[in-house]
Amino acid sequence: MGFALRRLAHSLFVLWAVVTILFLMFRLMPGNPLAAYINEQLSEDDQRLIMAQFGLNRPLYEQYVIYLWNLLQGNLGMSFFRREPVWDVLKSALPNTLILTITGLVIAYIFGILTGAWLATKRGTLAEAVIVPAALATRAAPEFWIGMILLTIFAFTFGWFPSGGANSAGAAYTSEWDRILSRDYVLHLVLPALTLALYLQGLPLLLMRSTMLEILHDEFITMAKIKGLSPWRITIHHAARNALLPVVTAFALGLGATLGGNVVVETVFSWPGLGRLLVAAVAQSDYPLAQGAFFLISLVLIILNLIVDLVYGWLDPRVSHG
Amino acid sequence: MANVQMPAQNLPAGRGDNAFVAGLRRILRDPFSVAALVIYVLLVLVAIFADQLMTHDPTQIQFRANGRVATNQPVSEAFLLGTTNLGRDIYSQLIAGSRNALMVGVTAAISVAALGTLVGLLSGYFGGRIDAFLMRLADVALAIPFLPFVIVLSGFFRANTWNVVIAVALLLWPNTARVIRSQVLTVKERAYVEAARVTGASDLRILFVHVAPNILPLTFLYGSVAIGWAILTEAAVSFVGFGDPSRISWGFMLQDAFVSQALSRGSWNWFLPPGLCIILVVIAGFFLARGAEEVLFPKLRS
Amino acid sequence: MSRSFSRRQALIITGATTLLSTTALTPLAFAQGAGDPVRKIVLITDTQGAAPQAYQAGQLIAQAWKQLGLDVEARPMARQAQSDLVWFNRDKWDTTMWRMVGRPERSDPDEMTFNLFHSSTAPRGFNFVGYNSPEYDKVAEQQRQTVDPAARQNLIKQAQQIISRDAPYAFLVHPNTLQAFNQNVFDPASIVVQKGVGIRNFWTFIGATPKGTQKAMIINSGTALQAIHPLYIAGAPDSWMNELIWDRLVRIGPDGLPRPWAAESFKFVDDKTVDVVIRGDMIFHDGKPVTIDDVIFSFEAPLTTDKSPMFKPFVTDIDRIEKTGERAMRIHLKRINAAFATTALGRVFIVPKHVWEPHLKSVEGKPDTLESIRDPMNVGSGPFRQVRARLNEEVVIERHAGHWAAPKVDRVVLRVIPNAEAVVGMVRSGEINLLSEYGGDPDVLEKLSKDNPAIKLTQVTDVGIEFMAFNNRRPPFDDPVFRSALSAAIDRNVIIQAAWNGYAVESISHVSPAIDFWHSTEVKAPATGIALAKSILDKAGYKVEGGRLRYPPGKKETLQPPG
Repeated sequence: MGFALRRLAHSLFVLWAVVTILFLMFRLMPGNPLAAYINEQLSEDDQRLIMAQFGLNRPLYEQYVIYLWNLLQGNLGMSFFRREPVWDVLKSALPNTLILTITGLVIAYIFGILTGAWLATKRGTLAEAVIVPAALATRAAPEFWIGMILLTIFAFTFGWFPSGGANSAGAAYTSEWDRILSRDYVLHLVLPALTLALYLQGLPLLLMRSTMLEILHDEFITMAKIKGLSPWRITIHHAARNALLPVVTAFALGLGATLGGNVVVETVFSWPGLGRLLVAAVAQSDYPLAQGAFFLISLVLIILNLIVDLVYGWLDPRVSHG
Repeated sequence: MANVQMPAQNLPAGRGDNAFVAGLRRILRDPFSVAALVIYVLLVLVAIFADQLMTHDPTQIQFRANGRVATNQPVSEAFLLGTTNLGRDIYSQLIAGSRNALMVGVTAAISVAALGTLVGLLSGYFGGRIDAFLMRLADVALAIPFLPFVIVLSGFFRANTWNVVIAVALLLWPNTARVIRSQVLTVKERAYVEAARVTGASDLRILFVHVAPNILPLTFLYGSVAIGWAILTEAAVSFVGFGDPSRISWGFMLQDAFVSQALSRGSWNWFLPPGLCIILVVIAGFFLARGAEEVLFPKLRS
Repeated sequence: MSRSFSRRQALIITGATTLLSTTALTPLAFAQGAGDPVRKIVLITDTQGAAPQAYQAGQLIAQAWKQLGLDVEARPMARQAQSDLVWFNRDKWDTTMWRMVGRPERSDPDEMTFNLFHSSTAPRGFNFVGYNSPEYDKVAEQQRQTVDPAARQNLIKQAQQIISRDAPYAFLVHPNTLQAFNQNVFDPASIVVQKGVGIRNFWTFIGATPKGTQKAMIINSGTALQAIHPLYIAGAPDSWMNELIWDRLVRIGPDGLPRPWAAESFKFVDDKTVDVVIRGDMIFHDGKPVTIDDVIFSFEAPLTTDKSPMFKPFVTDIDRIEKTGERAMRIHLKRINAAFATTALGRVFIVPKHVWEPHLKSVEGKPDTLESIRDPMNVGSGPFRQVRARLNEEVVIERHAGHWAAPKVDRVVLRVIPNAEAVVGMVRSGEINLLSEYGGDPDVLEKLSKDNPAIKLTQVTDVGIEFMAFNNRRPPFDDPVFRSALSAAIDRNVIIQAAWNGYAVESISHVSPAIDFWHSTEVKAPATGIALAKSILDKAGYKVEGGRLRYPPGKKETLQPPG
């Protein structure tokens, strides 16, 4: 229990640090935030009114305190151009991003771990010589490039999947749950999730393979000395559990770098998530909205990280009781 | 990224040069590593001789014999890979892009390697509060979403290739630092380090003269992977529209193709080559890292 | 000493004077040669990804000017940075590519004529180039006050002539708007093509007749919506929806001219008084009838309070409104405005007083405006009512049966699709049946139409303008002759072919041929050509020396190019 609390405290600290960096990043940006908002008839008085409304004329320190206090209350500020609370704008996009991210991760890791473990038993074969470079290639290719190719082939040419969006035109559902679990939504989810999964699976696959190799190498020799015990079952069972540890660690460490709110995937497939909102907000210099989207993306990552830490602790009792 | 978090292995200690040469020889025996080196050498050569290799000015609008702009020309003798939607030569743009790729890749790699190594060295050697602080910093850096960060930098400051390098340096050093730190912890206990301390050598001297040489191979390893990261990030940022508009890069070419609907027109000659080039350069980094892994972590050798 | 000089002294004096006079005259002699070289000219353009046509045009223009002996750099900048520099730092740039977007309200030339070039809008408004001509000011003011169409037409023609002569911009093109619809879904005869706008217009939305089983119109937008709100103008796709959910007294017809809509009639009793009678059969989406009080409220809210800042400018000419009957009101104007029907009656949305008056009271005394207040039901009296609005994904509006001009389609679904390739794919597969926004390559669309006979293409010349703006405040661009020379160096035909792929029409002035009543065919395009440009410059005293163009004699270069 102490372990879980410690990890939680750690996560909160990281969250605070990220939030502070976020604040500084946005407030110290150069350029006039009204530059994009060229309303022909906006008088100077009105401009000043807007600046006051958004607190853009208070000293930096005051802005920071206001910002933190608002954040604690769940208030992410007011979007410059949508004239709406940022949270209202983001809350419809959040489930889409979560589902895409989690689906992609789950597919990637299940596939990667199983294939990696299997590949470890195929040392020196043709399968290894082909699959390892292929896995590296998926990691080396730009996500959007793969995405566009998949879109062209499976949506445009074959027409098996829709070309974009999260739902068919005008589709209506009685609740969010119905919408998310509907066949229509899942059909729209396939290509973006597959693209994401294709990109992510390389890491667990290769890592699982290399750690399994190492363990198998040891375990096999040890097990060979113990007669009567089926080497495969015990080896694989014992090896897999230990081999998972580095994979889990690597997953946590790679999160920030690989899951940037799925910005490119959402753009290619017109998936209405946080990444696309962030890009639109930055393009407009809608600071509060961009900041809010960035914050939510970071929050999702930190929570995923925390979950992974707890899973790691469960997998490796030495850590949680150490 | 083939991000291997292996427990710290024992590097051949104290036999600096020989270990390095021996390691290099072992790398050269691995076909993948050789391929990687070949790709890197090719990249450097193409970048150096870009001016000679280009058939046209990559930014200039090309015209046909009848005076019209040479838009979307197919592969031909005049235009080796055809032309873009606005009449530029694709092949020349591809060559020009290699320069950008090399520059971004190398500067990013050096930055990440330098920063990560420095932090890892300081953290591992001095321990205590410095270590705690730096590792917390590492946690924070890892929690910041990478691509959004680059986008915000590019969107709010002027869109510039250096945003990618800065972002890579600021956010991707933790992995390098962590591994180097654990390596330093191992090396710290070695006899000669103790000996040096007993004879009164200053911390800094011990750090840089005795500890660092054993760490350098790891530095190169993570550096070479960072090349790939930088190039991929630059491509992604360009794709989303925040790339540096004044430079030709492979990412810029892909964004151009995408915005000009190259795929709807079936212009695979435009869409494929930059992507393939990116894959080659990035995968070279992975191959090299893998090859180096086998050297540094010999347990994996069959 | 006597005043007579000795011979020796005379010689010295003569020698000295000669020497003095030659050295004094020499700089004068050089000064007769040429002034300072003109500084480097930075031509700001969009990035290639954001606006490929403008980018390409900028490249071509830079190439042309280099031939005149100028040092030119075409500098692509992100939209933000470009706006920041051009709009908020008006004295720091020299030349830039720019555009005025076409909107139905711009079918009346008043906006372009006045806002773009009147000196009063130079410091902060749309006259960002700083054009200052008392002669033009007079014409611009007069046309606003001339109610007689024929007389006003003459004034607008004069305005075009002055602008064409003074060249504050180098006008380039009026782009052609390319759109498409699926003629298996809609009866082609029911799709209305509006001048200067295309098929995505109000009349198509209410008139489009479905042929078969699909009764929904599915359209697209490349950018997400920001706010569907009757008192706030957020962006283009937002406006499309606003115009369908809320009604207006007057609407711009397919011919580009204003026609009564929610108003049964409107009449200018005299130049400063308008009588309006509204229809008696209008119902809001919540079932309540539309009364004259609602209409008066809709105009008075922006007029008498500060709570609707974006609509305030449209109603500033109104002095007061008096209710003159159960369905009638009289508007008293402060000054004559010939375009009042379009710019005021055709802009303000009719909002339900019973919904918005409480909101107005709630923001009294606070810094907030009505713009941040949301009516979740978005009650209006337009031909469509809002069903569902996920601004980042999709907006669904459905037919309002109680409307006197109720649409033929059941619903309109607006899908947000930023990916241009995906849009084409969706048109092909039928996921979109009316292509309302297309920023991609026209050739791709043409091919699609050829391969799919169901897809019908439409093309209209836009009301909007694409141009190259000179900063009229900074020399040498303060010299109209210099400007016209640089404009002459630009071959418009090459620009149309090379940048707009042929899908554009040459622009001569700020009045597009799309508004044919006001567009003057008497104003001809000035001749172009590098040789011509060179001779104009030469005659005006700008000489080329050492490959660099120089100012006329005696003129110094005092400015720096933007950093």
